[in-house]
Amino acid sequence: MIKTDVIIIGGGATGCGIARDLTLRGAHHCLLEKGDFASGATGACHGLLHSGGRYVVNDPGAARECIRENAILRKIAQKCVEPTGGMFVRLPGDSKMFRDRFLKSCDEVGISTEVLSPTRALDLVPGLNPAIEEAITVPDCSIDPFRLCMLNAYTSRHGGGEILTHHEVVAIVKEKGVCVGVLARERLTSQIKEIRGRIIVNATGAWGDKIAQLSGSHVPMSLSKGSLIISNHRLTNMVINRLRPPSDGDIIVPNEAVCLAGTTSLPAGDPDTIEVDPVEVDIIASQAEQMIPAFGSTRLIRTYTGVRPLLKSDAADGRAISRGFRIINHHNGMFSILGGKLSTYRLMAEKMVDVISDEFGLKVACKTADIPLEGQDELSGYPLSKRLKTMEDIICECELISRGDVEHAINSIGTQYIGDIQHRTRLGMGPCQGGFCTYRALGIMQDLGRVSPDESLKILQQFLQRRFKGIRPALWGDQLKEEQLVESIYLGILNMEPQE
Amino acid sequence: MTPLTYDVVVIGGGMAGFTSALYLTGQGYKVAIISKGDPVCCLSTGCIDVLSSDKNPLDGIPGLSRDHPYHLVGKKGITDALNFFKRIMQDTPIPYSGTPRKNRTILTPIGTAKTTCLVPMTMAGSETESDTYIHVISFKGLKDFFPSYITSGRRNIRFSLYDAGTSSTIGIATLFEDKSFRREFISWIQNLELPHGKVAFPAVLGIRNPLKILTEISDQIGREIFEIPTLPPSIPGLRLFRTLKSSFIKSGGDNYWGKVIASVESQGDQIEAVTLKSPGRPSRVPGKAFILSTGSFVSGGLYATRNTVKETVFDLPVFVPGTRKDWFKEDFFQAGHAIETAGIKVDSSFRPVNTRFGNLFVSGSILSHAEIMKNHCGHGLAIATGFRAAKICEEFLS
Ligand SMILES: Cc1cc2nc3c(=O)[nH]c(=O)nc-3n(C[C@H](O)[C@H](O)[C@H](O)COP(=O)(O)OP(=O)(O)OC[C@H]3O[C@@H](n4cnc5c(N)ncnc54)[C@H](O)[C@@H]3O)c2cc1C
Ligand SMILES: Cc1cc2nc3c(=O)[nH]c(=O)nc-3n(C[C@H](O)[C@H](O)[C@H](O)COP(=O)(O)OP(=O)(O)OC[C@H]3O[C@@H](n4cnc5c(N)ncnc54)[C@H](O)[C@@H]3O)c2cc1C
Repeated sequence: MIKTDVIIIGGGATGCGIARDLTLRGAHHCLLEKGDFASGATGACHGLLHSGGRYVVNDPGAARECIRENAILRKIAQKCVEPTGGMFVRLPGDSKMFRDRFLKSCDEVGISTEVLSPTRALDLVPGLNPAIEEAITVPDCSIDPFRLCMLNAYTSRHGGGEILTHHEVVAIVKEKGVCVGVLARERLTSQIKEIRGRIIVNATGAWGDKIAQLSGSHVPMSLSKGSLIISNHRLTNMVINRLRPPSDGDIIVPNEAVCLAGTTSLPAGDPDTIEVDPVEVDIIASQAEQMIPAFGSTRLIRTYTGVRPLLKSDAADGRAISRGFRIINHHNGMFSILGGKLSTYRLMAEKMVDVISDEFGLKVACKTADIPLEGQDELSGYPLSKRLKTMEDIICECELISRGDVEHAINSIGTQYIGDIQHRTRLGMGPCQGGFCTYRALGIMQDLGRVSPDESLKILQQFLQRRFKGIRPALWGDQLKEEQLVESIYLGILNMEPQE
Repeated sequence: MTPLTYDVVVIGGGMAGFTSALYLTGQGYKVAIISKGDPVCCLSTGCIDVLSSDKNPLDGIPGLSRDHPYHLVGKKGITDALNFFKRIMQDTPIPYSGTPRKNRTILTPIGTAKTTCLVPMTMAGSETESDTYIHVISFKGLKDFFPSYITSGRRNIRFSLYDAGTSSTIGIATLFEDKSFRREFISWIQNLELPHGKVAFPAVLGIRNPLKILTEISDQIGREIFEIPTLPPSIPGLRLFRTLKSSFIKSGGDNYWGKVIASVESQGDQIEAVTLKSPGRPSRVPGKAFILSTGSFVSGGLYATRNTVKETVFDLPVFVPGTRKDWFKEDFFQAGHAIETAGIKVDSSFRPVNTRFGNLFVSGSILSHAEIMKNHCGHGLAIATGFRAAKICEEFLS
């Protein structure tokens, strides 16, 4: 049994942010995440560190939070944030009135803008639709959600916190009506661990109500899914937004070698079984194409979808801290923190830990806005020059990941999960989407004795199913061709059989 | 190459195209092959799948969908075509084993059994079911073959690794062409003192003369040996392609390799020539008859846009199974995605339906309703339809 002060359920940005804040304020804690870090909305999001521009007209409060956090994260999370800058483009037919309100609201909220002529906008982003009327720059950035979680967890791990990924909370332990602990199941072995704590924080986003119900409580949420598509090229170096009231497919974010375009907003059921509909892909691609015409012809390497946990406004027993997110005291030893955005994760964590400190009578102020994330200097990244040196042993041709990189990742985190390696090396993130290299990476894990051959085949099958789910909605052109090749390999050459 | 009018111009140099071309040069016709690139065959195991459902592959034909191209060839036609293929390979360094009337299984790199029909002689000894002990010898760092996977699917198997100093299949296969490498390698194996049973290798035993190399090793270590196919790039696939290409050149055929068709010249219902894109003056390849065997999506004979499928040379009408939403099932492992039926529909004389061209024939994986993954009929279908299209072409020319 593990004993701690605070049990955090959920290893998205919110949960990891809380773990770091607690560490810096000196409170012991244990974080449980059923997958790897960022396997919920955090990893399925657009990766936009908002300037606030998107919300400024309809929700200036949220915009104000965004621009403040934007400035903080640029400072404390340099290795996660790419200061790309962003622009809002106005296409023929888009409302001029909205544009005027946009500029005025930005001014009031304190988001710096500059109005560009089409020529100047095209100088900055040559791929833009030459027919744009004008563009307005804002300080949007691209942010790497996975790194962000990993670095927040790094502080906790090195500061005495327990971080257990691949542990799913399956029950809440109660004594006399009060939550005193949780039972968590390890994914591979199904082993159950009991963790006891004084406060439980439910930071499970879209799963929030499921966890609340385990404790005999409830959070009123309505789930909305948003889908995204990934191009195999970086078609713009700046974030591109459509200058109009928020709608489908109006944001394009550059990220490493690719671009993410999205999103949609549709009612969602169970966050574990959502899927992208091919129609969503068509909507996003055709909208993105209006801003950057190459989106119409580029190869889409994958689609994915995440669930926004939107709180129903008539939330009983709710204490509104901000317009964007909410902390709910269930009065049974559990708190839920839900809503918000990736961009404001730090602020959410701060407010949550303020509440916990009150409960504990702790009087330490929050420091997360001032101290840069620990562990950033250990992030070497994978500069191309370094990757090319080991060309001989490349096992992921799309992202130039060598056998050495994979062995290093396996040995340093001691993992048995292929996803962990993919997140930490970018293995399988390119056009083939792991179609070739996953087989190899699992072979290496066998060589190193991390998984047995039987396990590795099972993992490979699960991987192929998950991979297919992500690419199926956008299969045409070169990606369809690649898919037929991959299918011929696994079902033809290897004669792999479906799992029982 | 001389500017004459070819009897037959074959577009697409894959299994189908080469089968047609080799039959026609064998009958004395003047034939050219135009191909954009190397065929899918180079990625394959080199084994000829015909139909995997029954013990005798031909027994599976009645169970195929009504529109499957095998119905147009018939049992006898398929048998003749496969025997023709075997005959051609007989005199090359990569003869084939098996008969069109019997399926067999070969051991895959993950220890499963793949059903196929004709196999290169180097795989003839492949063991999938018996209890024979198998010792796999692989190579250190080889990235497309991990012998440990095999042990999950098949018991009574162990492996050893040889350090060849290189990690690619092509690199190792090239080393095997070298006598002194083989000498050292063989004495290493001899020192292993292997238990009785068979010895298996990933398919890297040389590129040009695999059977000779295999026999040499087998004789010296006193064990029966067989090759296990690897993931692409596949050496047995490469061997098959190179052998077909050189047989074709030997038989007097012309090839235009790495060439893309820029335009088509036609008069009435006859195609007169195709023009090739080239850096200088476009070259014109005239012919009396044309066979289209440009393959399916992987080779680029077909190309899918967001909502439909195009044929890339003549823009022929394509059978498309519904809209994109219908193309794929949800389960990766559920073979038989609807998109597999996409392709060119032909009449009984292998002419594309609903087109005006009277001297154009179509064969191979570009044909509609072939459902190659579902039926496991890749090379077999290419050989059978390529052979039949060539015969029809012959009738047409006379
Ligand atoms: C499509 C989309 C695009 C978005 N784009 C942006 C953007 O560009 N910028 C931005 O700022 N915000 C964006 N957001 C919002 C942002 O992603 C989320 O608000 C934020 O990531 C939520 O983080 P979280 O940690 O609260 O929740 P999550 O990231 O969902 O984390 C919850 C975690 O709990 C885990 N969990 C669930 N049940 C259990 C259990 N029983 N036991 C253990 N663990 C469990 C899950 O696996 C998950 O990892 C987007 C959201 C969506 C859906
Ligand atoms: C990875 C993989 C493994 C496989 N393994 C096996 C196996 O083990 N056994 C088996 O029986 N089957 C296997 N198959 C299936 C089998 O390889 C194919 O079905 C068969 O070889 C197709 O032959 P084809 O001649 O119809 O077309 P292809 O081999 O596709 O040949 C078409 C040719 O046309 C050329 N071309 C395309 N467009 C143009 C153009 N516009 N102009 C000029 N030329 C053009 C291409 O470059 C290519 O050379 C496998 C397939 C794949 C993808």
